[in-house]
Amino acid sequence: MNSVCDKIELTLPFKAEYVSVARLVASGVCNRIGFDIETIEDIKVAISEVCSKIVSMGSKITDNYTIIYGVSENTLNVEFVCDDPSIKCIFDEEKDGLAISIITALMDNVVLCDKSNRIISMSKVLEGNR
Amino acid sequence: MSEGLRFVEEKVDDSVKLSLFGEVDIYTSQELKEKLYSIVDNNQTDLIIDCKELNYIDSTGLGIFVGALKKTKQYGKKIIITSLKDNIKKLFIITGLDKVFVIE
Repeated sequence: MNSVCDKIELTLPFKAEYVSVARLVASGVCNRIGFDIETIEDIKVAISEVCSKIVSMGSKITDNYTIIYGVSENTLNVEFVCDDPSIKCIFDEEKDGLAISIITALMDNVVLCDKSNRIISMSKVLEGNR
Repeated sequence: MSEGLRFVEEKVDDSVKLSLFGEVDIYTSQELKEKLYSIVDNNQTDLIIDCKELNYIDSTGLGIFVGALKKTKQYGKKIIITSLKDNIKKLFIITGLDKVFVIE
């Protein structure tokens, strides 16, 4: 993996109508790395699943959450952060089984319950570089 | 931003066919839920969901399909999902819903 990592940050309000913006940005970033169309679609779904869950939870202390797309030569790292400390470990295995199945199947590495200040982190490596 | 979601509803023999156009995500899913549930309750027939022009769906939308299927089964009917694009069919396989729905 290339040690140089460019970061693109997207801050979105807790509103359902902006989840599609996260998908659009993901498309552009993934295309830049060189993922094929099928993989880009997979990554968009995984990112969108997390956004949908964050939006459905909402927050009483902040209006926004941030997606950080970390780009290296052959890897996409995605982190979700929010100033509201109550938004942690957001997926429930019973209620969110479909979403968890989809995210973990489509991404290479997923940390659903991050111990740092991140809500969730996930990554995808370009085919042939794993 | 989002291309949104549009529907075309038509009668096909003894079934109702609902064609979906666009994207189903957290923003459009409520609209889909209301449409599917009203078709199921008002017609009480088999329901064909044509996904030829459906470009995106996530777990919110899949959950609504499952809810509609439960309702359909209450009337002794079924849901048939047709013309899924590969990226969407993959989600049905990952979640095991390919074994729950009739997919053609």
